[in-house]
Amino acid sequence: MLTVYCWLLCLYPKSYRHDLGEEMTLVFRDARNALSPALAVKIGFYRREFSGLLCSALSAHFDRLFGAAIPFPRSYMQPQFRFPRATVFLMLVIFAGVVITIRTACGIAGDTLGLGWRTLLGCLIFMFVSMCTAAAVVWGILYARHRSGVHRLQNVQS
Amino acid sequence: METFALSEPVLLVLLSLAEQPRHGYSILKDIESMSDGRVLLSTGTLYGALQRLLDNGWIERVQEENTPRDRRTYRLTSRGRRNLQMEIERMRHLTKMASLRVARKEA
Repeated sequence: MLTVYCWLLCLYPKSYRHDLGEEMTLVFRDARNALSPALAVKIGFYRREFSGLLCSALSAHFDRLFGAAIPFPRSYMQPQFRFPRATVFLMLVIFAGVVITIRTACGIAGDTLGLGWRTLLGCLIFMFVSMCTAAAVVWGILYARHRSGVHRLQNVQS
Repeated sequence: METFALSEPVLLVLLSLAEQPRHGYSILKDIESMSDGRVLLSTGTLYGALQRLLDNGWIERVQEENTPRDRRTYRLTSRGRRNLQMEIERMRHLTKMASLRVARKEA
């Protein structure tokens, strides 16, 4: 089982493995040696260890790629920043308003603008999605580099 | 200063280190003892929490001279102690409110 544990450690990022791998193996060995001989206890121990290892490895990869921007289901510390839901709602309201206005205008102008309307709607949707994606990517990069507003505020507070 | 709730594993790790610096296995056993056997952390969960606490500067490693690399000790930093204190205050306020409301309801 110790061999299996060492294999599973390969799931972690290399730097993490190099830093903590030996220590984790030793702690696993000590905990295993301290177990009572009951089969149920051993099964519970291995189930907990291997499932914890898998989740923790996944979390380590997430943290390395995204920082703590996307909280993993077993996140240990809740990030203080929450994207304001009101902003998303207002964006959707504004977008709906623009679409309705365009449709009304086309209705007034007649069917000759039908093709133009579909093209324009497609362009608007594309622009909206592109802007949201770009904003999310830029924010993610800033957060990963610890230069986002959240980190600046934390630095001020500390 | 606004605080945020800590998860139970992180809180237990911090409480364990608040008493004295410990190495990994000692933290595991102390947490089990503190929770009367209710909380059994896996090594993956423990070291995930330790890594995040290290990254945030709440704990630090203490490398003693004759200690092998795989028996490194961890201890709270002043920042970690401050955040733990804030969390304890938050929970104290919450339990106080809860007691008052339950007492009011029973009355």
